[in-house]
Amino acid sequence: MELLGSQNLAATPDQVWAALFDRDVLEQAIPGCESLEQTSDTSFVAVVKLKIGPVSARFKGEIELSDIDPGKSCTLSGKGSGGIAGFAKGAARVTLTPEGDYTVLDYTADVAVGGKLAALGNRLIKSTAKKLTGEFFANFTKALTGEEETPVT
Amino acid sequence: MKSPAFEYIRAESVAGAMSAYAEAGDDVVYLAGGHSVVPSLALRLQAPALMIDLSEIAALSGISFQDGWLRIGAMTRHVQAINDPLIAAQAPLFAAAAPFVAHPAIRNRGTLGGSLAHADPASEFPAAAVAMRVELEIASPKGTRRVPADEFFLDIYETAIEPGEILLAIHVPGPVAGQVIGFDEITRRQGDYAMVGAAVQAVAKDGILQDISIALFSVGTRPTRAVAAQAALMGRVIDDASIADAKAALGDDLDPPDDLQFPATMRLHLARVLLGRILANLEAVA
Repeated sequence: MELLGSQNLAATPDQVWAALFDRDVLEQAIPGCESLEQTSDTSFVAVVKLKIGPVSARFKGEIELSDIDPGKSCTLSGKGSGGIAGFAKGAARVTLTPEGDYTVLDYTADVAVGGKLAALGNRLIKSTAKKLTGEFFANFTKALTGEEETPVT
Repeated sequence: MKSPAFEYIRAESVAGAMSAYAEAGDDVVYLAGGHSVVPSLALRLQAPALMIDLSEIAALSGISFQDGWLRIGAMTRHVQAINDPLIAAQAPLFAAAAPFVAHPAIRNRGTLGGSLAHADPASEFPAAAVAMRVELEIASPKGTRRVPADEFFLDIYETAIEPGEILLAIHVPGPVAGQVIGFDEITRRQGDYAMVGAAVQAVAKDGILQDISIALFSVGTRPTRAVAAQAALMGRVIDDASIADAKAALGDDLDPPDDLQFPATMRLHLARVLLGRILANLEAVA
C-alpha cells in the first residue's frame, strides 16, 4: 500500500539532509525505537517495540538509505521481523525542496505487512501504517527543529 | 495455537491492581472480559510477562444513580446493556448498540469498559458513548479523574487512559424530556465489523430539534462526532430538506481512509445513506 505525506521544516535542505543520516535524530524519530546501531554510513540496525491495541511485538530490523542524490532525495528502506507476529517492510522516497526559509519534505512510502499481523489486522493496517509514518516524520521534524509538527497534508 | 506463558494474578482492589502493574514494569496486560486480550494471546500477537485480572474488583461493577448521572461500572457485561432497566432508561444508546456487538456468547463475557478502553474504531459502544456525552472515570495512582467522551478517544486503540491506569466507570448524564435515539450500522454479516455505523441522540420540542448529537464509527481512527451535520439540523424540523442538508454536511465531518476493503468515497456514501435512514426513523418518533 502507498502512503503520501509532506512536512514543512524550518531548516535548510542541508540541515535536513544531515539529520536524515544522523543516528540520534533517527532514534528519536522512529516510533517505539528501543535501540539503533549504525552499521555503515548508510545502514542501521534497530529494535522497535510497537504496541497497537491487541498487538504488542518487538521488531528487529534493518534500515538502509539508498538512491542517494545528496541534498535532494534518497530512499529510506526498512524491514523488520516481529517473530511469530509477522513482519513489516517498507521504503519511503524522500524529496527535499527549498522554499524560502523552509524545506519541504515530501515522502512516498510503500509499506507491506505479512504474517499473522496482516491476517488479523487487515482491516486497520492502512490506518496504522499511516499513523506510524506520520509519527516518524512528526518526530523527525521535532528532533530537527525543536518545534511541533507542521504537516501540510 | 496456545498462549505464551505468563504470570497471572487476580486483583482484589483497584489500588492493588495498579501497584502490581507498577511493580511489574510495562509488560503487563489487564484482563476485563478477555474477548480481545485472550484471542490476541492465543494468536501470540502479544506476550505479556504478567496478566492482572480485574474481574473480581467490586468497585468496577454495579449500576446506580449518582447525582442525576447513571454510573455504570466498567465491568458491566454487554448482555446487561440489553437487559438492565436502568441502562434502558438512562443510557438507551448502549441498549440499542449492544445487539449489534458480536454474538451472544461474546456479549455474556465482554464488558462495556473493556470495549471503551480497547477503542477499536469499528466498535459500537464508543460511538454510543460519544453520542450520549458520557464521562469516563479513570483511576490512576495519583487519583481519579473524569474525561468527557469527546476527549477520551484519541486514535486507533488509543484513549486518554495512560499505561497502568484503569477505567472505573461510565457516567451517563440524565435524559431530557422528549429525547429520542437512533442506532444502526451497515455490515456484511451480522456480528461482523461494521463498514459504517452511527449513534444519534436528539431532543425535539414541538417537532423542532433543541439538541442533536451524532457520532459515527468505522469512518476513521476513532468515533467521530458529526459537528457539521449536527449544525445543519439544529433548530429545524426533521424532514426531507433537513435530512438532505445533514447528509451533505457529512462531507465536512468525515475524511474516511481508503482501506484494503473499499474506497473512501464508498464509506462516505454509506455513512450518508445510514444517517439518512436513522434520521428518517427519528422523524417518525419525534
